[in-house]
Parts: sequence; C-alpha cells; structure tokens
Amino acid sequence: MSGTKPLSRFHQPIAVPGRRLVHHVPLKFVQKKVGGGGQRSVNQEIPLIPFIDFLLCIVCFLLASFSASGELPVDKNVKLPKAQNVMDMTDAPIVAITGTQILVDGTPAGSTRTVEEANRLQRIDELFNILKNKRELWKQVNPGKEFPGVALLQVDRRVSALVVKSVFQTAAMAGFPGISFEVGRLGKPGGGE
Amino acid sequence: MAGIDVGGGHGGKKSLNHDIPLIPFIDFLLCLVAFLLVTAVWSQMARINADAKVPGPPRPDEPDEVKPEKELHVEMRGERKFQLVWKEGATVINTIDIERKQVNMGNEGDYRYPALAEKIVAEWKANGSHRAANDKKLDRAVLHTDNSTPFSDVVAVIDAVYEPQRDFQIGAKTEKIPAFNLTFSVN
Repeated sequence: MSGTKPLSRFHQPIAVPGRRLVHHVPLKFVQKKVGGGGQRSVNQEIPLIPFIDFLLCIVCFLLASFSASGELPVDKNVKLPKAQNVMDMTDAPIVAITGTQILVDGTPAGSTRTVEEANRLQRIDELFNILKNKRELWKQVNPGKEFPGVALLQVDRRVSALVVKSVFQTAAMAGFPGISFEVGRLGKPGGGE
Repeated sequence: MAGIDVGGGHGGKKSLNHDIPLIPFIDFLLCLVAFLLVTAVWSQMARINADAKVPGPPRPDEPDEVKPEKELHVEMRGERKFQLVWKEGATVINTIDIERKQVNMGNEGDYRYPALAEKIVAEWKANGSHRAANDKKLDRAVLHTDNSTPFSDVVAVIDAVYEPQRDFQIGAKTEKIPAFNLTFSVN
C-alpha cells in the first residue's frame, strides 16, 4: 500500500467478489458482519412464561370441570331416550328399570313382569321398602335437615308407561315425590343447548 | 431459565440470585393436564323433571276455600291426535286437538313432536298463570297415557310440554326453566 505501484487491472489476482459496502468502518465486529463472516446465532429462546400461563389456564379449566364421582353409571340393559328440554344431572338414588327388573342403585327391587301381568297401576312393595329405608337412613345421617325427596329414574325406552307410572307412584309413596327421568341430550336445531 | 435477581453477592456473601427450575415445573403441569384430560367426564346425560307431589292433609292456617288453578291436561291416548285440555278444577275451559306428527331425530330411533311443542308454547303464552320471574309456582301439566305406551313416546311428549320456558329468580340471578311442572294422571 505504501510505495508499491498498484498492479494493472489485468495483473490483479483473482479474488472472490465480496461485499463492499461499509467496509471502511474501522470496527472489527462491523467488518465481520458486513463481510458475511458473522453467522446468525443458533440459540433460540423459547418464551416459557406465556407457555406456563397457557398451561395454568388449561389446568384451572380442567380442575373446574373435574368430577371426582365420574359418569353416572347406566345399566347396560337400559337404552335411554333423548330429549331437548333437559336439566343438568343431580345426585340422587338411581332407580333403573330394564325390560325385566327394577334396580335401586344396582340392588334388585322388583320385577317389571309382575306389574305388566297385573295390568293395573300398583305399589311395588320391594321397591317401596328399599326407598323407604333409604329415606330413613338419610334422615338419621342428616338430622334436622329437610329431605330432598329426589330420585332418578333410568328407564329403558321400550318399557311400558304402566311400569313407569307404578314406579313413579311407589317412589312418591316412599317419600320421593321429586322424580327425574334420566335422558340423553338431544341437540337443538339452532345448535345451542 | 427464569431467575430472581435481588442484587448482592458482593463482598464474599452468599449470592441471593436463584434460578427457578422451570422445566420440571412445566413437566409437572403437563402431567397434570394429561391426567385431568384422561379423567375428564364428557357427559351427555341429562334429566327431565316430573312431580309426584300429592295434596296432603289440610293445615290449620290454610284458607277453607282455595281457588282451583288452571291445569293443562295432555291426552296422548289417541293414535292420530293429541288433545290439550285446559281445566279449572273439574271444569273444562278449552279443548284443542293436534295432529300426532312425529319427527325423527338422528338414526337411533329418537323422535319429537314439534307441532305439539309449538302449540303448547302458544297455549302457555295465552293461558299460563305463573309468568313473573319472582313467582315461585309453576303452571301444572297432567299427562294422560295408555298403559302400553312405550317410555320413549312418553319422553317425547314430556319434552314437548317442557318447550315453553320462563324466567325464574333464584336468589340474585335469573334462570330459564320450563314453564310447566308435569305429573302423571293415575287413571
């Protein structure tokens, strides 16, 4: 650079053409960058805090909708009908009516055949006694509280109205006047509940 | 990695900076999410109410004469039609016939009676006695069925009876509930 004469353009060594702009800046890191020597950093920071916030939101939602008791068991012989104008489930003794028998919380409490053969509305004694015992037990466990008197009927869709009405009447006589029929949820035409 | 920097750490003192171990925390949260998702209950079950409250013995504070309220009797005995009968005590006020036209819902054999539901809504709007949100009583519907009617048919009619909805005040909040309280006829 000092006293030597520069080579003519035909005698210059062949060099790879590189970037020329901002080369005059006498800073090492600038030259490195503009010369193409500076590589993009491979390390990336994952935004963990929003991710944790998101996870916490999911946990809160799932905990709020968590049911420790799980799904109410439906007897395998019972095929429930569906309805649109329904209410949410409640916790109550379950009276299941299959094609052949009546069960209270899984315990046999009478036969549907007997009712159908009698062909008249009647009190089902076995069911009456079991429900009455349940009522007495509830009153002993919760002294001074008002008995809710709610029972949940799981009725197979093919069961006749005579059996349903007999069970309904028996439950009312045993101190369970608030009867709910368990049904499937049928979507409304508009898409809402 | 997140950390807490409270300064200090100079002059030979123990550093007060701490790293919170975020990765195990995220692992824990993911396990919790997985567990809750696996045990989540996506319930499709619901209930429809029926009332079997029978009049008890008269109380001493009860007035001697209680004006009978209007009741909607739904007759589903005929094969071709339903009959809606408004009664006040034993007096029949009005009788309406509706064609028994079922509409299938899905392919599992479920069906509804939309024409009946529509008529019951109109009837409640015209004749319903309990409409105010703070009115704790509900209008009463009585269902008359044949003994041989299948339960699925009974539910379809109850569903139609519960079509009219009204506001109901529970404490400070107001909810929508069915306008009728249904019971079965025993004869």
